[in-house]
Amino acid sequence: MAKNHFDRSKGYAIYLLPGLIGLTVVIILPFLVTVGASFTKWNGVNPPQWIGLANYQRALTDVKFWAAFRNNLLMIIAVTIVPTILGLILSVFLFDYFSKKFSPMLANFFKAVLYIPQILPVAIAGVVWKWILNPNWGSLNTTLSSLGLDSLVHNWLGDPNTALWVVMVIMVWFQIGYPLVIFMAALQRVDPELLEAAEIDGATWFQKFFYITIHQIRPEIFVVILTTTIYALKIFGQIYVLTRGGPGTSTIVPSYYTYQAYFEQANIGYGSTIATVMTLIIVALTFAFIRLQVKQEFYQEEN
Amino acid sequence: MNKKIFSIISIVLVAMFVLTACGQSAATEAAAAPAEESDTTAVEAPAETASDEGRVLTVWHYESDTGAMGVSWLAAKEKFEETHPGVTVEMDNTRGFEQIRQTASMVLNSDEAPDVMEYNKGNATAGLLSQQGLLTDMTAEVEKRGWDKILTGGMQTTSRYENGVMGSGEWYGITNYGEFVMVYYNKDLFAQYGVEVPTTYDEFTAAMDTFVAAGLIPVATGATEYPAQQVFYELVLSKADQALIDAYELYQGEVDFHGEAFTFGAQEMANWVDKGYIDKNSTSLGAEDMGLAFESGEYPMMITGSWWYGRLMTEITNFDWGIFLFPGNTYNPGSGGNLWIIPENSENKDLAYDWIEATLDPEVQAIMGNAGGIPVNADLTAITDPKVQELIAAFNEFSPGAAFYPDWPAAGLYDGLVGFVQELINGTMTPSEMLDALDVFYNENKSQ
Repeated sequence: MAKNHFDRSKGYAIYLLPGLIGLTVVIILPFLVTVGASFTKWNGVNPPQWIGLANYQRALTDVKFWAAFRNNLLMIIAVTIVPTILGLILSVFLFDYFSKKFSPMLANFFKAVLYIPQILPVAIAGVVWKWILNPNWGSLNTTLSSLGLDSLVHNWLGDPNTALWVVMVIMVWFQIGYPLVIFMAALQRVDPELLEAAEIDGATWFQKFFYITIHQIRPEIFVVILTTTIYALKIFGQIYVLTRGGPGTSTIVPSYYTYQAYFEQANIGYGSTIATVMTLIIVALTFAFIRLQVKQEFYQEEN
Repeated sequence: MNKKIFSIISIVLVAMFVLTACGQSAATEAAAAPAEESDTTAVEAPAETASDEGRVLTVWHYESDTGAMGVSWLAAKEKFEETHPGVTVEMDNTRGFEQIRQTASMVLNSDEAPDVMEYNKGNATAGLLSQQGLLTDMTAEVEKRGWDKILTGGMQTTSRYENGVMGSGEWYGITNYGEFVMVYYNKDLFAQYGVEVPTTYDEFTAAMDTFVAAGLIPVATGATEYPAQQVFYELVLSKADQALIDAYELYQGEVDFHGEAFTFGAQEMANWVDKGYIDKNSTSLGAEDMGLAFESGEYPMMITGSWWYGRLMTEITNFDWGIFLFPGNTYNPGSGGNLWIIPENSENKDLAYDWIEATLDPEVQAIMGNAGGIPVNADLTAITDPKVQELIAAFNEFSPGAAFYPDWPAAGLYDGLVGFVQELINGTMTPSEMLDALDVFYNENKSQ
């Protein structure tokens, strides 16, 4: 029986081949080249020079490198944690309350509006944000001063104390639509019988939310958290358009630092080092996450 | 269970794909550029004969057809086709600089290479390509055609590279035009507040004090891009000598970042912020913001390059403006412009040299001047616009003291300086800390 099973699945192996070739050429080989380059001093032209772990040693004491990873953690708050929580609250509000109280059409309208930042090209949305935040003639500062709130007028993206927080707020705006749309779709999947049964048993709205809804849509929550965490770690476009990592190093992130090392400083070796560290962190995180999710699935199946 | 592990692995691999997709291409792209053997024998230009019939000269550049360079090169094309019957010039400016820069080493190494191409001057661009053996060594032709008499002194610096470092060695490119940094001023505001054009640094600061007292910000600038670092460099240059510039830009000697010039530059830049000469808000403003601020007529001055000149000529209509060199400075930022280079793989090198000659023709150069460019070989009597005459006069005053740009000596120094000057303006680094950071960055990244 077992042999039979083996024979049957053998026929499918060939279908994996194109994917494996693509994976090797596009991902595995370049990744190995990057790891290799991270042990060299190389400007991309002259032959690379093997320098062992020197690039990693340099990274350990490089203030900018650590600033980049610290900012990256804060980006996870702005891209994953806050939008996921807000998205959950908003989607439940729109789905459970708003569409019943008013109309599903109106709820869909708000869903679409909140999703717009996701479909706007990053470059364009970024430029518009820069206009809004321009310290001298941007609409935020002019609005504040016309309201008599001159004390709040601020050089938002140019002050190292506020630049990162402002970028984080913009990131929440960018991201909020994604969890919202996914969770609203997930909520439609929740079995109404369960909720009804709970209601008959006298459960409050909050009890239903915490004990039924959240558990029912857990797979979607996992997907959202995983994809947005990876997105947060790779974040580049918004930083490039809004601040270019400045002022100073206050909004630098690893992918932008890698870009600077590769294309501005022609320092392929050090750029590869940052990229390798970033890759390892993301792979480790992803692996841990999926392990956790698989465990949860087992747990659910067993129950 | 096996299925589960398999799915974990595949998801991890997918995740890796997502995150490595952008990062990796750089390494492979760079790896794709093999060092080609350098064949330096210049092709002797054959006498023009009927065999030119049907030949095509491909020219790539990245200037707009309406800008000063673009207009003059279209005129050069006409002239060239007149003097070379049977030859067609195919001009192509569909690729932007960024696109050309990223693919240059691969394109020039292929048979798709154009016969002659515009390229950025500097170690990181033309210098790099010359080192890879992708550019034709033009030295013999340059001497034969007397181009070394047209481009003299600092204008030669960007044309010549030795082991990829500019300043000396063989000729790998020829420029058509010059560029330099100056002070643009609003004549109406100067008249309104009774300020004369300053000729010394003390007069300059006194003039700025007058504007500050009147509630104006004297100098429009932007620190997310090049403008603020050029202000910093102007301040350094006010105490610099040729030896320091040669050391900093051309590696001829050690640079003392805590010497008089750099210390003055950093300290004075911080003073400028404290005294309100430049806006602290400039840490989130770029070059475009600076230009628009000056054009609005609310800022008395702007310190920036001649590349703004043509645009200001057409866009400023509501006030009168003029220019002067940074008061008291012998040296100012500036250099020759972008280069014509001839790829080693060009099949029409003889025509390529003739093309460069056509763009240096005095009539063609005068057309460039009248369109707002700074020609290097123009018949000045053919320049009619008084505004352009003013610019060229300032250029002639400038050119013996060309000090290039602060970001040239090291790859990535542009971004480095943007960051350091921002920290200086914000006060998050003291002048001394800023110079330390610059020192470390410079020495780690300078071209070897």
